[in-house]
Amino acid sequence: MNDQGIKSRPSYRLLSLDPTGRRHLLLSDGTAVGAFADDTTLQDFDERWTISDLGEAHPGGDHQARDLTFGAEPQLLADLDRRLKTEQIGLRLYAIGTEPFLWRVMAVAAEAGMGRDEVRLFAGRLGPRRVYCIHCGVIADGVVANVATCPGCGAALFVRDHFSRRLNAFAGVKVDAEVPGDLPAVEILYA
Amino acid sequence: MTAHTPLNPMPLTLRVRAIETLSPSLKRLTLVSADGAALPPPPPGSHLTLALPLDGAQTRSYSIVSPANDRAAYGLIVRRAERSRGGSAYIHQRLAVGDRLKSAVPTSQFHLHSLARKHVLIGGGVGLTPLLSFLHDLRVQGRPVELHQICRADEADAFRQILEPFAGHAIHLHTGRTRLDLQAILGGQPLGAHLYICGPEPLTAAVRAAAADVGWPAGAVHHESFGASGGAPFTVRLARSGRDIAVGEDETLLEALEAAGANPPALCRGGACGECITVVLDGAPDHRDHFLSSDDRASGRLVMPCVSRAKTALLTLDL
Repeated sequence: MNDQGIKSRPSYRLLSLDPTGRRHLLLSDGTAVGAFADDTTLQDFDERWTISDLGEAHPGGDHQARDLTFGAEPQLLADLDRRLKTEQIGLRLYAIGTEPFLWRVMAVAAEAGMGRDEVRLFAGRLGPRRVYCIHCGVIADGVVANVATCPGCGAALFVRDHFSRRLNAFAGVKVDAEVPGDLPAVEILYA
Repeated sequence: MTAHTPLNPMPLTLRVRAIETLSPSLKRLTLVSADGAALPPPPPGSHLTLALPLDGAQTRSYSIVSPANDRAAYGLIVRRAERSRGGSAYIHQRLAVGDRLKSAVPTSQFHLHSLARKHVLIGGGVGLTPLLSFLHDLRVQGRPVELHQICRADEADAFRQILEPFAGHAIHLHTGRTRLDLQAILGGQPLGAHLYICGPEPLTAAVRAAAADVGWPAGAVHHESFGASGGAPFTVRLARSGRDIAVGEDETLLEALEAAGANPPALCRGGACGECITVVLDGAPDHRDHFLSSDDRASGRLVMPCVSRAKTALLTLDL
């Protein structure tokens, strides 16, 4: 049982096309399967951008193509950032992938002025967590267990379901603050 | 037990410092504090509710067009309504420089969205007035803004003069809506833009429809309509006293209650604040507020008298 009952933990729904949008751009980090609601298929999206380790170098500058493949996430996010700066209202973004990818996409979209009602996210696989140490502010990436060691201050952090959309990270709180060294059993929960 | 002391709804006494005729149908009023004290700052988009000496004391609300940081005077622009309920006719014909009026503290239900990347303002006729206070505010903040004002040809000169102080910004005056390509205006806006509409209901409806057509997200479209307070006349029954009060087609339920001497608490008079919430015992409310949840609406047990009406000939309230 891993639901801590904390409301800030995002929940995700299978993607369907937002009927109020006029142009639909789908972004995927290549990890997700089964991301669509029954009434929705890949063909419904005007453009599809994907990341693939096997992908050829991304076709720079050719934004006419319906499908683009990027070799790595930073390229995709940089192109998205450039694209959104010149986009007009009416665009809807969709992202599928691991949770940290989704919220990096959301951050680029928000930077361009898009609101939560213009972006739909689906975490096909939640994956390892980013954990923000509330004591020193350092973020640990790739956390798979209920307790993580902070790479900044060394504290043993309990990984809460308390999620910051701004930081794209879960809150980590010193787990043995009251009785130093009193640590719970380690469970792998977020692999 | 603590005695409940209602707040004075009309705490300000204002003196008419100037009345300027902008066109046969438009006057600009400048109201100053009667005792010279600094006035409460009017938030952008706010309106001022004045007590006018009509039949008994009646209240009318007008948008404030002066800047939010001007605490010396409130500026109003009042259009003489073709079918005036008394308020605009009084202001146009009888109000004189030096007159004193009681007023409420300015309140606003029409807000600028602080995260917007650009503000697109569309005004129809005297619906320009709240947008003028937005323009003041956005100019001070240096935020991107584009305004489209639609008006009758015979009022174009007056609105051109009103907008003169904002020359140099993207200000467009259109006479009539027929040749206006709303889809082109709205479709070309950048991500993060917010849209604000104030005008008669048909214009508001047309702009909202055009915005939806080109894919504006609903959360970025804001509107304030006027002239929508009326509707079919109905009767309101006060269950506690058994009194029946007629609500005319040109007055609000709240105004009818006040005119009859029943004074339910009320604050914003625009369906936003929730202060006037009233229990419905019988009949079907016609909800026009922004306060009640969809569950509350569906239940039909609550109504906001400041803006809402009745779908049934008789509405019985727990008053």
